[in-house]
Amino acid sequence: MTTYPLLTITTFLPFLGAIAVLLFSSQRSARWIALLTTIATLSATAPLYWNFDKSSSDLQFVESVEWIPAWGVSYGLGLDGISLPFVLLAAILSILCVSGSWTAIDTRAKEFYAALLIAETAMIGLFAATNLFLFYVFWELMIIPLFLIIGVWGGPKRIYAAIKFLIFTLSGSVLMLVGMIALYQVSGTLNFKELTIAQFQTEFQVWIFIAFLAAFSVKVPMFPVHTWLPDAHTEAPTAGSVILAGILLKMGAYGFLRISIPILDEALQIFLKPMLIVSVVAIVYGAYVTLVQTDLKRLIAFSSISHMGFVTLGIFTLNQSGVEGAILQMINHGIVSAALFLCVGMIYERTHTREIKDYGGVGKLAPIYSVLLAIFCLAAAGFPGMNAFIGEFLIISGAYETAMWLGVMAIWGVALGSAYIVWLYYRVVMGKTNAKIEGINLELNAREIATLAPLVLLVLYLGLQPDLVLSYLHAPVTELLTTAGVTQ
Amino acid sequence: MIGPDLADVKLLWPELILLTMSLGLILSASRIRKGLKASTATLVAGFASILVYRWPLVEGARAGFGDMIIIDNYSQFFKVLIASALILIVLLSARRVETDNVRAGEYYALLLLASIGMMLAVSSTDLIPLYLGLELTTICSYILVGTTVERRTSNEAATKYFLLSAFTSALLLYGIALIYGTTGSTSFDAVASFFSGTEGGNNKLILMAIGLVVAGLAFKIAAVPFHSWAPDAYEGASAPIAAFLATASKAAGLAVLGRICISAFSEESHLLSLILATMAALSIIVGSIIAISQTNIKRLLAYSSISHAGYALLGLLPGTAEGISATMTYVFIYVFMTLGAFGVVTALGRRGERIDGYEGLARQQPVTALLMLIFLLALTGIPPTGGFIAKFVVILSALNAGYFTLAVLAVACSVVSAFVYLRVAVLMYMKEPQMDEAPGYPIMISAVLLLSALVTVIGGILPSVLNFWEAVP
Repeated sequence: MTTYPLLTITTFLPFLGAIAVLLFSSQRSARWIALLTTIATLSATAPLYWNFDKSSSDLQFVESVEWIPAWGVSYGLGLDGISLPFVLLAAILSILCVSGSWTAIDTRAKEFYAALLIAETAMIGLFAATNLFLFYVFWELMIIPLFLIIGVWGGPKRIYAAIKFLIFTLSGSVLMLVGMIALYQVSGTLNFKELTIAQFQTEFQVWIFIAFLAAFSVKVPMFPVHTWLPDAHTEAPTAGSVILAGILLKMGAYGFLRISIPILDEALQIFLKPMLIVSVVAIVYGAYVTLVQTDLKRLIAFSSISHMGFVTLGIFTLNQSGVEGAILQMINHGIVSAALFLCVGMIYERTHTREIKDYGGVGKLAPIYSVLLAIFCLAAAGFPGMNAFIGEFLIISGAYETAMWLGVMAIWGVALGSAYIVWLYYRVVMGKTNAKIEGINLELNAREIATLAPLVLLVLYLGLQPDLVLSYLHAPVTELLTTAGVTQ
Repeated sequence: MIGPDLADVKLLWPELILLTMSLGLILSASRIRKGLKASTATLVAGFASILVYRWPLVEGARAGFGDMIIIDNYSQFFKVLIASALILIVLLSARRVETDNVRAGEYYALLLLASIGMMLAVSSTDLIPLYLGLELTTICSYILVGTTVERRTSNEAATKYFLLSAFTSALLLYGIALIYGTTGSTSFDAVASFFSGTEGGNNKLILMAIGLVVAGLAFKIAAVPFHSWAPDAYEGASAPIAAFLATASKAAGLAVLGRICISAFSEESHLLSLILATMAALSIIVGSIIAISQTNIKRLLAYSSISHAGYALLGLLPGTAEGISATMTYVFIYVFMTLGAFGVVTALGRRGERIDGYEGLARQQPVTALLMLIFLLALTGIPPTGGFIAKFVVILSALNAGYFTLAVLAVACSVVSAFVYLRVAVLMYMKEPQMDEAPGYPIMISAVLLLSALVTVIGGILPSVLNFWEAVP
C-alpha cells in the first residue's frame, strides 16, 4: 500500500492543471499545459494498476477524511475492480481529447482546456467516490464544463444542444438529490458500504429507485429519455463528443452498479422486467434509427443508444457473465466510440462537412485513415478479435440465461449494428471519389496517427486479451450479485 | 421589573455603534461634500459592530429591557450577517452615490438606521420591539429606494413599495393587537404559554392573529402571495439598494420568522407549518416560472429572491432546531451569492441592468464573467458551490417534516430556475459581444465580488468552516 493520497492526487491533478491554464498560460501554451497535465494524471494512475489486488472485492487505496461532521459525511475515495478500469479510461481519453483538439480549437483555447481538465477531475472523482454525497458532487460538477464545451465551441446549433443537454441531465439529477436526501434521512448515512447493509422498506425502495432511475436513465441514456444525446453529441466539438460518449454515458450505468443494484435490491426485482424490455427496445430501435442517419456524427451518436442498450441489458440480467460483459462493454464502447468521434472530427476539420453524401472514395485519398477507420468500424460491429466482440458475447450469453427472447433481440441488434456500420464505411471510404472532397489533403498527420494509435492497440489488445479487464471484475461482480440477493 | 435597566444598554453594543455613526452622519450631512468620507465612516462602524458582537455574549445568552430583547448566538449570528451585508453594500454604493448625485451623508445614515432596525428585530422576544425594528427598517428602505430623485422609475418604485408595505404593516399590527387582546401580553413566552393552555388551539381569534402576523412578515421576505412589490422596487432602486432589500432585509425577516416559529407559536406548529409550506410552494413556483420571461436583470433577481425565500422557508417547516439551522445556513449562503450577483450588476453599470448587456461578457471581461458564473451556479444550487449545501439542508428539513411532494416540487422548480440563471451564462459565454466594453470598475466593487465568491465557494467545499449549527435559539 502507498502512504501518500494517491487517489486525491489523481483526481485533483487535472483541477490544478485547469487553474494553471487559466492563470499562467497564453492562448498558445494552454494546450501544452493541458497535455502535460493529462499525461501526468495518467502516470499517476499507474501505481493504482500495479498495486491493485484483483482477488479482493474490497475498496482499495481508501482515503477517508472527515468532511462535514455535522452530517457524518466524509471525503472518501477508494477503488474496487469495477471502478478502476473507468478511472484509467478517463485518464487515457483525456489525453486523446487534448491531442485531438490540438488544432481544432483555435478560439478561447485557455477556457477550453480549463473546462476539459475540470471535466477530467469530475470523471475520475465520480468513479473513485465512496459515498453518495461525493458521488453527487462530482456528478453535478461534470455538467458545467460540458455545458460550456458544447455551447461555446460546438457546431451551428450548439446553444440549443447545450441547453437541452443541461435541462435533461439536471432534471434527472435533482430527483437523485431528493432520493439521496431521503436515503440519508432514513438511514443516517451516505456511505455506499453502510447503505448496502442498511435495510429499507420495499415501498420506500421503489420511490428511491425511481428517483435514481431518473438520473441514471438520462445519462445512459435509456430509451424514452435519449433525445438529448444526438443533439449534444452532434453539436459538441470532437473532444466534447469523446467525453460524452466515452465517459459521461458510463456514469449512469455505473450508478446502477453502485447504487440501484446493491442498495435497492428489493425494488430492483420489481423493476427488473421493465428495465430489460427498455434495454432491448433501445438496442433495436437505436439500431434502426442509426441506419437512416445522413450525418456522420449523428450516426455514431445514435449507435451509442443501441450500444448502451447492450450495457443496460447486461446489467439487468443480473448474472455473472451479463454484468461482467456489460462493464467490459462500457469500456469497449468508451474506446470505440471515442475513436470514431475522433476519426470524424479529424476528417471534418479538413472538409467542414459531416454529410455522408459529401464523402466517397476516401480510401484512395487517405489510405492510413481508411485502415484505422476500418479497424474501429469492425470493432464497433463486434467483429471477432476486436474488443466489442467479447463484451457483446458475454452480454448475449447472459441474456440467454435470463430469457431466450432477450438473447434473440440482442442478436437482432448486433446484425443491424453490422449493417449500419459497414454501410457507413462503404459510403465514406469506398467507391468513386466525391467531387466535393477532391483536392483536399485528407491524410492524417503524425499527431493524429499518434492520437489514434493507442486506441487501435487497446481495441486489438482487449479483443485478444479481455482478461486484462475481466480479471478485475470477477471478485467485485460476485460480491455485487450476492448483495443484490441473486443466487447463482 | 419596571422600566429598563441602564446596564442593559450594553447588550446592544453593535446597534449603539451604528446608531452613533448614523446620528453623526445626519448631524454633519450638510457639510459632507465627498461621498468617500461618509462611506468610510459607515464601513468603520460596520466593522466595529462585527468586532464587538461577542461582548454582550460573554456571560452566555441574556435577556434585557424587561425581557423584550434577547442576546443569544442566534441573534448575534444574524447581526453579524446584517453588518457584513451592510459593509458589502456600502462598498458597492460608492460609485453610484457619486454618479447619481445622491446626498452621501443621508444615504449612509439611512443604511445604518435600516440595519439597526433589522438588528433590533432579530433580537426581539416581544412583538412590540419586533414591530418597531421592522418599521424602522422599512421606513428607511422607502427613502433609499426613492433616493435617486431625478429618475421617475425610482420614485414610482418607492411609492408602490410604500403603499403595499404600509398595508401589510397594518396587517402585522392588527395581528399583534389581536394577540394582545386574547393573551393579554405581547411577549413570545406569554403567547407560547397561552397556547400550551387548554383553550389555545381552539381560539379562532388567535389563529387569525397568527395568520396576520405571518402575512406581515411574509411581505418583508417577499414570499408569495405578498411578493408583488419586490420586482418593481428592485427595478426602480439602484442595484446596491436592491441588493440591500434582497439580502439583509430578507435575512432579518427570515430570522424573525424563525424565532417566532420556534418560541411563540411552537404549540401551533402543525398549522404554522401548513401556512409556511403553502407559501414556500407558491414562492418557489411563482418565483422560478415568472423569472423565465424577465429581460431586466434586477427583475430577474427579484423573482429569484422570491423563489429563494420559498426555499429558505422549507427549513422552518419541521419547527425543530435542526430546521432552523438549515434556514440559517440557507440565508447565510443566499446573502453572499445574491450580493455577488448584484455586485456584478453594479460593476457593469448601465450595461448590467438589461439581460442582453451580458452578451459576450466572457470575451470582454473574463474574470467578471467567471465570477458571475459562480454566483449563477450557486443560485441554481449546483455543487461545489455553497448554494448546493444550502439546498441540501433545506430539502432535508422538508423531508424531515414529511413534505415529500414539496421536496420534489422544490427540486423540479430548481431545474426551471437553472434555465433562468444559465440563460445569462449562455449570453455571457456563447454569444458574441454586441456592446462596447463596459468601463472598468473600482477596486471596492472587485473586493465585494471576490469576497462573495470566496464565501460562496468555501461554503460549498468546506461547509464546516461556516459552523453555526450551535447558534439555534
